[in-house]
Amino acid sequence: MSIMEYNGGAVVAMVGKNCVAIACDKRLGVQAMTISTEFKKTFQATPKTYIGLPGLATDVQTLAEKFRFKVNMYRLKEEREIEPRTLAHLVSSTLYERRFGPWFVEPVIAGLDKENRPFICSTDLIGCINFAKDFVVSGTTSNQLYGMCESLWEPDLEPEELFETISQSLMNAVDRDCLSGWGAEVTIITPEKIITRTLRSRQD
Amino acid sequence: MSGLKPGEVNLGTSIMAVEFAGGVIIGADSRTTTGSYIANRVTDKLTEVHDTIYCCRSGSAADTQAVADIVHYYLQMYSVQNGKPTVPLAASLFQELCYQNKDNLSAGIIVGGWDKENGGSVWNIPLGGSLHRQPFAIGGSGSTYIYGYCDATFRDGMSQEECIQFVKNSLALAMARDGSSGGVIRMAIITEKGVERIFVPGDELPVHWEG
Repeated sequence: MSIMEYNGGAVVAMVGKNCVAIACDKRLGVQAMTISTEFKKTFQATPKTYIGLPGLATDVQTLAEKFRFKVNMYRLKEEREIEPRTLAHLVSSTLYERRFGPWFVEPVIAGLDKENRPFICSTDLIGCINFAKDFVVSGTTSNQLYGMCESLWEPDLEPEELFETISQSLMNAVDRDCLSGWGAEVTIITPEKIITRTLRSRQD
Repeated sequence: MSGLKPGEVNLGTSIMAVEFAGGVIIGADSRTTTGSYIANRVTDKLTEVHDTIYCCRSGSAADTQAVADIVHYYLQMYSVQNGKPTVPLAASLFQELCYQNKDNLSAGIIVGGWDKENGGSVWNIPLGGSLHRQPFAIGGSGSTYIYGYCDATFRDGMSQEECIQFVKNSLALAMARDGSSGGVIRMAIITEKGVERIFVPGDELPVHWEG
């Protein structure tokens, strides 16, 4: 029994044309038993950046709160919003601080920088950053998500097309994972607005 | 009692059988897992061992397939030499295999069928290899979530249609809560006339409270 597989969960983020998308499932389980179908794993960090936190649920909650605090302090001191690339390094340092007793989460960050250029990355549980140009995946469904994203993703997808692509990637990947699924939420971030949609998915 | 070996495939499962006036209804989910990966999402866990005698398999896929194959063989020989086997006979064969090999098996089996002497009957053989005739039986990892629902809903003397709804609703509830159960619902109605299979796809599952 792996601690990263205790609660289950899946997160994926993708780059589109002048937009990014981030999506997560909504299951909270205790090994095989499903406890809740309203446990979202994506959190808004700034008006143009989201952070996804799959892994051990208690650490998901704690780190969501820690990052909310750190982002707020940054805003107060710098008098501006934190850029996505800087947030990635903030997440990385926070995780590496606990190198020998780590937080059991593998975060995903998606957002637009101050020039509205798309940015995504993921880190492992001790803070190694993976800067990707196409998509990043994390959680118990990561292998299935790699397969789906590799097949469905293409560059320069418009926001509506990106929504379809990320939704199909997530939904079909979690249908092959017992520990993820039971609903999904997809967020599309564009320079003008952020649209969050809930997907109707299999409840098994 | 042996657990699953690394890499071994698991019928996580929710299985069920209900006796009614004309025969039995048996039902199962369709998920087979290797760890958390769903190896097969359309599995058929309802296995024929004779014309009107079926078993529902839960536990190790390999163990239950092997046991069912052996019972199928014995019943073939029996029917050639002695005529139609009865359901308690088939259940007894399952019990012998499951009890004598209990240290090496991980198999929870429900036998359901129709024969002339007993009409419909349901026989539950849990992990240790004991044998229990019951008006209805539930098994597999998903069954733990529906004991209350089944006890509250089951009544003696339900019609065939009521039994089908009972099995469908119970399995849908189990599949919604148990990670090791899911996919589609497969059912079989076993009566004097033979076996009629019913298939309920994922998007036609009964929907309950989803939080």
